[in-house]
Amino acid sequence: MTKILYTDKLDNCVERWRSAGLSVIGPVRNANITAYRPVGSAADLELSQILPDRSIKELFFPQTEPMMRYSIKKDAINTEECLPPVGPRIIFGARPCDASGLAIDDPLFGWDYKDEYWFNRRNETVIVSIACTKSDEFCMCTSLKLSPDSTKGSDVLLRPLESGKGWQVEELTDRGREAFKAIAELLTEGAEAAAPTAVVAEKFDADACSEWLRNPENFESRFWKEISVRCIGCGSCTYLCPTCHCFDIQDEGDTFTGIRRKNWDSCSFALFTMHTSGHNPRSTQSARWRQRIMHKFNYFPGKFSANSCSGCGRCTRQCPVDMGITETLQEISKLSQ
Amino acid sequence: MSIEQQYRTRAKELLSSGEVKMVIGYSKGSTPDRRRPAFISTPEDVETLVLDGACIANLSGYLVTEGLLSDEKRVAVFLRPEGIRAINILAAEFQLNAAQVEILGFNTEGNEPTALSGSKVDDFAELIGTLKGIIPDTAGEELYKKLEAMSPQERFDFWQSEFSKCIKCYACRQACPMCYCRRCIVDNNQPQWVNTSSHTLGNFEWNIVRAFHLSGRCVECGNCDRACPVNIPLRLINRKMAGEVLEAFDHFAGSSQTQEPVMASFKKDDTETFIL
Ligand code: SF4
Ligand code: SF4
Ligand code: SF4
Ligand code: SF4
Repeated sequence: MTKILYTDKLDNCVERWRSAGLSVIGPVRNANITAYRPVGSAADLELSQILPDRSIKELFFPQTEPMMRYSIKKDAINTEECLPPVGPRIIFGARPCDASGLAIDDPLFGWDYKDEYWFNRRNETVIVSIACTKSDEFCMCTSLKLSPDSTKGSDVLLRPLESGKGWQVEELTDRGREAFKAIAELLTEGAEAAAPTAVVAEKFDADACSEWLRNPENFESRFWKEISVRCIGCGSCTYLCPTCHCFDIQDEGDTFTGIRRKNWDSCSFALFTMHTSGHNPRSTQSARWRQRIMHKFNYFPGKFSANSCSGCGRCTRQCPVDMGITETLQEISKLSQ
Repeated sequence: MSIEQQYRTRAKELLSSGEVKMVIGYSKGSTPDRRRPAFISTPEDVETLVLDGACIANLSGYLVTEGLLSDEKRVAVFLRPEGIRAINILAAEFQLNAAQVEILGFNTEGNEPTALSGSKVDDFAELIGTLKGIIPDTAGEELYKKLEAMSPQERFDFWQSEFSKCIKCYACRQACPMCYCRRCIVDNNQPQWVNTSSHTLGNFEWNIVRAFHLSGRCVECGNCDRACPVNIPLRLINRKMAGEVLEAFDHFAGSSQTQEPVMASFKKDDTETFIL
């Protein structure tokens, strides 16, 4: 027997959570795009799409956020720190690749300095993921040692029932159990079978790729130019990526008053490494693409023991010139044989 | 012989004779309905070229890649009529020497490619003349009409809601052949003219700068629209501006290599007393 949450109870769940003071967030389709957004009722949720177009990271690391306000007067400089808005939240219907993306980034945001913008939100958010029963040709979680029902980063994992009428509930963490206490009476004990998870074929050997990348001889390989010649440096692969985390700090305002903001940035941009002198150590797009791959599959695992990729496939799905992580790693897999 | 095969043969001849050092075209993509830009520099590789109705990206932007044409050698490129117009603009704005560009012109009817005769940009002058005022791709026309019928406030609300999705990746800029500036105004940070933040102001600033900088220059290829990761119907903004410059200045972007840029030329007898 397992706990079951039936779809027709979902509206009541949303209501319960809301009245328990949680804001409820989930995939919402609006103006031709699906993103994780606050919902008022279960009807707002778009749970049938393979995965939302925009990643979950925006809820923890938004494109722009204020860090500090400043004002400069004749005899004083005033600064006022801005901390992220707080309040408990529950994300219902995350995809396992998105939830794992957050877990992948936790050590990054916490290794030397605990980034309160990230962790204040992480600590107040319950993540309820739904295992995938559908995938597309771009999904590649299994190549990253994850799976359509991986539990990494989730507080609760739901498995869709074969009947399509609900989900089996697997509570994974105390935070998840706590949130599901509020809806305990809406759950049913049952033996209904779960639908099989999506079959996602392995596309490359990530370990072999990392090893190839670690070999200093390959840093200057002609491969980098060949594989990335069509890249236009648009950055959308990094902006949609659940694990890409680079940001820039910008002051907006005038000499006397303004606001300091933390904004997304991307290694695909020429400006990313431009020095004040005008020299750019990554002067070509291929050097920037190499950096993206090296960072995700060599430097990041070297420091945090995990690849900085959860296999969501958004980078390839969205790329205007049909590039992406998958092809590059498939080619590296071949080279490393 | 299929059009695709004819063009492969032509590309092969161009490369074997040394007339061009590279052919920029399309090849198969990662899924059956995707095509991707291909850069061919040996005659053997022309067999990977694909030409069909899915070849829609405007490839002219690659020609202004730093250093590509600086050796004065020639490059051949597959272009639809919008792409050919783009070559005229790039030449008129001194970004390339059109004599270095061999055009493999094509169009598509349904899913079938059709050949356009000519190889130098001027060979297509007559064709471009017949296109004046015609929207190359009517995608979004229904929405466009709806927007035109709206009150200014409704229209403002529509764009505000669309721009609120913008994540400031500038993919629209990178994908546009007309956005070739080595340092875009939004990348200038001393001072920072345009905020990089994707708040309401920042998103409006960027999208309005883009609309103005492309007025009278946009060839309506749709690259920006297809690149936008959050699906903002960007081409409708450009379509509107193209309509305005056509009406006000009888200017159809990319008509010839000597066409004066409508927003960047000033004459003493202009009726306006200011420059934007
Ligand atoms: S790989 Fe694709 S999505 Fe990423 S920057 Fe290059 S062109 Fe843009
Ligand atoms: S690199 Fe690509 S596949 Fe990996 S997490 Fe980022 S967007 Fe997803
Ligand atoms: S603005 Fe868009 S449609 Fe116009 S030329 Fe640039 S990419 Fe093409
Ligand atoms: S491509 Fe779309 S999201 Fe990116 S900057 Fe342009 S309008 Fe904004």
